[in-house]
Amino acid sequence: MTTELAADRTLVRRTLAWLAGPVPVSIIVALAIGAVAIAIAGINPFVAYPSMVEGALTGRGPANTLQRATPIIGMAIALAIAFRAGVFNLGAEGQMVLGGLAGTLVALTMPGPGPVVIVVACLAAMAAGALWAMLAAVLQTSMGVPILISSLLLNYPARYFSSYLVRFPLKEKGSSMVATPMIPDDTRIPALIPADSAWGTALRHSLGKENALLLITRNVNYSLLVVLAVVALVIFVNRKTPGGFESGLAGQNLRFAQYGGVHTTALVIRTMIFSGAISGLVGVMLVLGSDFRLIDGALVGTNYAWTGLLVALLAANRPIGVLVSGAFFAALIVGGEAMQRSDGVSSQLSQVIQAAVIILIVVRLTLPRWLNLSRRHGRDLPAITDRVTADDEVGRV
Amino acid sequence: MNWSNLIDGELFASVVRALIPVLLAALGGLICERAGVFNIALEGLMLIGCFAAVAGSYATGSGYLGVLIAVAATVAVSAVLAYGSVTRRADPIVLGVALNIFGVGVTGFLLVAFFHVRGVFQNPKIIGLDTVRIPLLADIPWVGPVLFNLTLIGYLALILVIVTQLVMFRYPLGLRLRGVGERPTAASTLGVNPNRYRYGAVLLSGVLCGLAGAQLALGNVVQFSENMSAGRGWIAVVAVMLGRAHPIGTFGACVLFGFAEAFGFRLQGNGLPAQITDAAPYVVTLIALIIARKYFKRGIVSAVIE
Amino acid sequence: MTVQLELRGITKRFPGVLANDHIDLTVEKGEIHALMGENGAGKSTLMSILFGLYQPDEGEIRLAGVERHFASPRDAIAAGLGMVFQSFKLFPSLTVAENVVFGRETTRRGRFDRKGAEREVAAIAERYGLALDPAARVDDLPVGVLQRVEIIKALYRDASVLILDEPTAVLTPQEAERLFEILRALAADGRTIIFITHKLKEVMALSDRVTVLRDGRVADRMVTAQTDARAITRAMTGRDVVLQATAAAGEPGKTVLALHDVTVHAEDGRTAVGGGGVGGSGSGVSLEVRAGEIVGIAGVAGNGQTELVEAIAGLRPIESGTVRIGGRDVTRASVAERRRAGMAYIPEDRHAVGTAGTADTTDNLSLGHHRQPPLLRRGLLQRSAMTRRARELIERFQIKVPGPATRVGTLSGGNLQKVVVAREMSHDTPLLIAEQPTRGVDIGAIEFLHGEITAFRDWGGAVLLVSAELSEIMSLAGRILVMFEGAVVAEVPAAQANESTLGMLMAGASPDQARAAQPGELV
Repeated sequence: MTTELAADRTLVRRTLAWLAGPVPVSIIVALAIGAVAIAIAGINPFVAYPSMVEGALTGRGPANTLQRATPIIGMAIALAIAFRAGVFNLGAEGQMVLGGLAGTLVALTMPGPGPVVIVVACLAAMAAGALWAMLAAVLQTSMGVPILISSLLLNYPARYFSSYLVRFPLKEKGSSMVATPMIPDDTRIPALIPADSAWGTALRHSLGKENALLLITRNVNYSLLVVLAVVALVIFVNRKTPGGFESGLAGQNLRFAQYGGVHTTALVIRTMIFSGAISGLVGVMLVLGSDFRLIDGALVGTNYAWTGLLVALLAANRPIGVLVSGAFFAALIVGGEAMQRSDGVSSQLSQVIQAAVIILIVVRLTLPRWLNLSRRHGRDLPAITDRVTADDEVGRV
Repeated sequence: MNWSNLIDGELFASVVRALIPVLLAALGGLICERAGVFNIALEGLMLIGCFAAVAGSYATGSGYLGVLIAVAATVAVSAVLAYGSVTRRADPIVLGVALNIFGVGVTGFLLVAFFHVRGVFQNPKIIGLDTVRIPLLADIPWVGPVLFNLTLIGYLALILVIVTQLVMFRYPLGLRLRGVGERPTAASTLGVNPNRYRYGAVLLSGVLCGLAGAQLALGNVVQFSENMSAGRGWIAVVAVMLGRAHPIGTFGACVLFGFAEAFGFRLQGNGLPAQITDAAPYVVTLIALIIARKYFKRGIVSAVIE
Repeated sequence: MTVQLELRGITKRFPGVLANDHIDLTVEKGEIHALMGENGAGKSTLMSILFGLYQPDEGEIRLAGVERHFASPRDAIAAGLGMVFQSFKLFPSLTVAENVVFGRETTRRGRFDRKGAEREVAAIAERYGLALDPAARVDDLPVGVLQRVEIIKALYRDASVLILDEPTAVLTPQEAERLFEILRALAADGRTIIFITHKLKEVMALSDRVTVLRDGRVADRMVTAQTDARAITRAMTGRDVVLQATAAAGEPGKTVLALHDVTVHAEDGRTAVGGGGVGGSGSGVSLEVRAGEIVGIAGVAGNGQTELVEAIAGLRPIESGTVRIGGRDVTRASVAERRRAGMAYIPEDRHAVGTAGTADTTDNLSLGHHRQPPLLRRGLLQRSAMTRRARELIERFQIKVPGPATRVGTLSGGNLQKVVVAREMSHDTPLLIAEQPTRGVDIGAIEFLHGEITAFRDWGGAVLLVSAELSEIMSLAGRILVMFEGAVVAEVPAAQANESTLGMLMAGASPDQARAAQPGELV
């Protein structure tokens, strides 16, 4: 009885401490910054923010949020596995674009039953993303160009190459849109419960047209399940496999991992391959699941790679955290778009808020001392003397 | 393809135009690197500089006031970087990436908020920066039109290469800056506060990126378009690496990229698809990095990442 | 005599630690005052406060009778304090003169006057007999010279009180003797010297008075001439300690580690290991370590020991020659293969290499064991087995840590080292490479670690021990190899080793010279 109470109390205390911690505080301050931005745009934030919440959570909101969350979580998990291993992959955008391109080529040219084509297209996309990521990795491991730079610079050739193909050889003749032809109907990734299926109509009759669950099942496609499976797989790999264990330690101290017998070069390449493959998969799922054709600049324009990066940072690379923060950032985007429709505030506000959240977290914004409930600042400090000596021991001089 | 009309005086003039924004940002990055802060926020700072310059010029009707406003904006944003990476000891890479994304978002947002357009903002009320022709010198064949017909920011950028070189290696300030970057603890035991120099370096990179943005948006063109820095800030980061944080070397690397960009434009005029030539500066950058790495085994990469 | 420096009631708390507890210290003008204490006794904290790096929670500092507050080293320097840190605070890419005048540069019309700086440095060097080249780049200089640069830095700022933190840790006994001469000359010149050390011999040889710290408090104050080593030891530790290892029980067995003609490069491409010496047929290093013996490598830091050990461990490529572990050629093998061949390794830098500070104790204890049962079954990690094993090791090695889930970054030096040792020694490999295994840990942990290493030897393990502490090598090793400029210049059986001979060899004297000189053991 008493122990249960004590356990309850620590839980309460921990929750309070977390609420006073950097994440919630940063989110609140970032929203305040967003309010200032809205006011600068000449609109009352107390009108705009409610329409944002309404847009994200009511009517089609949940369905849209889940739809957006799918690629965002996908990109975030791709980046989270890289960051966790200490590999700063800034090339997810290019890897996603090439994945989308390779998948589109398969979907447009490969004959055969739809499901088979979809699977092959996904595999081709993963291979394309993985290869592009591997190139960045090899540039670091054998040419000494830091991955941060090599992966970032490789975004541009990927972007322009795919744009060139879409503009010229692959462009649908006679169309005003700069895009490839539409892919066949049976190679499109289906909704969870398509509206025109027997289940779909049955569900509509029982739930009613405006029901949120109905909207979700017909607007969200199987990509969501694929992404959830990837997240589950990452949790398993991180926790239960020696490779996942090693990459976690390598991310915390690369020299330690090396010293302990981890082949760090192979680890970097392997990590980039996985990261690029997931990015490529997200790219193809966007083409086969929502656009049904490759539109020039569309994949870059979604900004999912960079939103995913922010999500991974917010989640501190933890898979469950990626799910929660991915859904949160997707809701911000959907709400932002609703706000744009109703109040004329640019939807880019959500990007400003997202980046501000991360900036504030990175600078470890905390409550002023007198407001802080947890009063645990001191916990960071005992290492000071240790840190001084650790610093001193580096290098001979 | 007619090669003779690919290379002429006009090409070199456009090399210099392409070069100046990258050079200014790279000098900012170089100073930070020397002080021991790996600054990869150059891209975002430059973009914010572009927007603030255009907005300022539009609002005040003066190009030079636009420049001032651009510098004020970028200094304010670089102060966040300085506070985070120096005072709060945050990871400058993560902070830099987040600031770059912030730059894209905030400029896009304000573009709609202020001017009610998306994508590109062009308006006769945006006053650009005129080039200032230096009489006589500008008449020297080849060199004259290339080097003596620039905006004031252009001249400033070229002069700053020499000034930076001198200060860095001939003045106590440069000695201290280099020392602070190499061994901050050694500097602080001699009563030189490393944080003060780092703040100075980061804020100065803010000034330089503001100038870079202004040159790009009011000098090279007279407009703002979303994401118009288009990776130039990243190329500046690479230029510092290639130049091993030496002003002259970094200048050389910037010339290389300026050349790649200008030559790409020229080839475009000769019928090559824009998508291919647009990729040229980035590919050239990567290849240059690979070659450089082969030549000097150490020292092109910031100690922060190694 | 007049009192030059007086500390009254200095108190400094760190979270969870009372580093300095009302410390009083009085030092007279022209005196050489030794400040003694074990690691963690509070010496470094006290000196950091004196030099303005930390602010005291309580207490006052008086210099020549005037109360002072040092908000930063700048204030301390201005007041006439100079500090020579244990790890030198120098800029490797700058010249000696630039290092000396940094922050107080000589200028001509605003520009930095490099020539003027060099002249000033040369003048100071000449006055006190400190030979060095003011125009040399610091990263080209040997350690002994670097220390002179540090002293000149203080003299250039006209320090009236000079504080030296463990100045002899990186010196050969002969170099230390030269340093003592310089310090005596400075004291005779009217400057006050505070000398921090944990070596009794140096205190007895050099100091006028001693203040001993223990657990953050002053344990005793003595006049050197009126005390003896035993009394000081008792004040330091609270008991009589004799750090004496037991000799090896039997004859060494078969060869476990064999190096043949190995050369290794440093980062900048220069040869770090190799280039002559005895024992090698060619130009590289050759050595053997057999089962049941401890082979010590002595040498001044920076003579190739680190590079040699890293090459054996697989962290640095071998340019030529071969390395065999347990008869297997591992010259080109990965770290993992070497470990499988029977190598365990306690690295020099436990923070940067030996542990991941942000990871918990379980993970730190598991790395390297995580690809074999019981931690891995059917290809999957067994988290509960990892935790169970961590608990066992924490108990067996007496690691003071709240639990297996605690991040190791919060542990003290000695406990962190125990984590490394526990992980490495629980491999039960035939070979252990131990690099500076007791640096910066308290005396209790030293005793424990020495006990573990000798127990491993008695069990039949082969140990390669690299240490900057001659006393450690002499008490543990059966054979001692001396490294100088990348080569093994001598092999001395422990029974015949004495500090002065080893010191000469470490300084580059040939074995014949060292034997001929034989001045008898240093006091």
